[in-house]
Amino acid sequence: MAIRVDLDKRLYDRRMSLTELADRVGVTIANLSILKTGKARAIRFSTLEALCRELDCQPGELLVFVPGPLNEDVD
Amino acid sequence: MRTLGPGSVSSLLKTVLDVVYFGLLVVAGALGLAALAALLFRFDPTMVKGIAIDGAGGQVLTRPEVLGGLFVAIGLYVAGVLIILNRLRKVFVTLTAGDPFHPDNVARLRLVGALLAGLEIMRYLVWAGSLALVPGIDRTGPSISLSGWFSILVVFVLAEVFREGARLRREAELTI
Repeated sequence: MAIRVDLDKRLYDRRMSLTELADRVGVTIANLSILKTGKARAIRFSTLEALCRELDCQPGELLVFVPGPLNEDVD
Repeated sequence: MRTLGPGSVSSLLKTVLDVVYFGLLVVAGALGLAALAALLFRFDPTMVKGIAIDGAGGQVLTRPEVLGGLFVAIGLYVAGVLIILNRLRKVFVTLTAGDPFHPDNVARLRLVGALLAGLEIMRYLVWAGSLALVPGIDRTGPSISLSGWFSILVVFVLAEVFREGARLRREAELTI
């Protein structure tokens, strides 16, 4: 995945667990894990907005571009 | 009227398919026993002579290889129909569960399309074979069924629609 969602550092800075973030943002832990592990295909603005609100950051601080192969098409 | 989910039209069709499938399984079992009996009888010439078939082709139909071929053709046809029904049942299980774009449905529909095409082709082959083996047979053979081939193409197109649906479903699942 060329775009990575950098949650770990933000969570560490805020001393927040993944479970707590999931509760606050209103998504499941499974979906947050998909975001964290780079398996997500897309992120909704509403999710991004909630993440930025709860982690007190800007979208650009959460999304990191990592050079590499693009996700292969899902069938 | 709901078309998907429990208690919907899909659920009703699934029940109908179940009844037809298991009914045909019983018939296929009986046919298998009949074929087995025919194989045993072929070694007894008096039994073979006892099979009386009217018409000019009657004598030819008593030949063991013709009888055997007939049973194989019928067996293949019934097996094809059974597999089609079985796959359709599985598709309708997903429709009843409210999950039409299950990834497995693509392969199921493709198989149904391929089998329908195979059965249609087999119909022509059996007709051609019967012309060669049974000289006196009625020569008004099977016409090319346009609606049949149209249906087969529709099934293949539907399979592609389901593939696209499955892809979109996967995309939606991975959109957080």
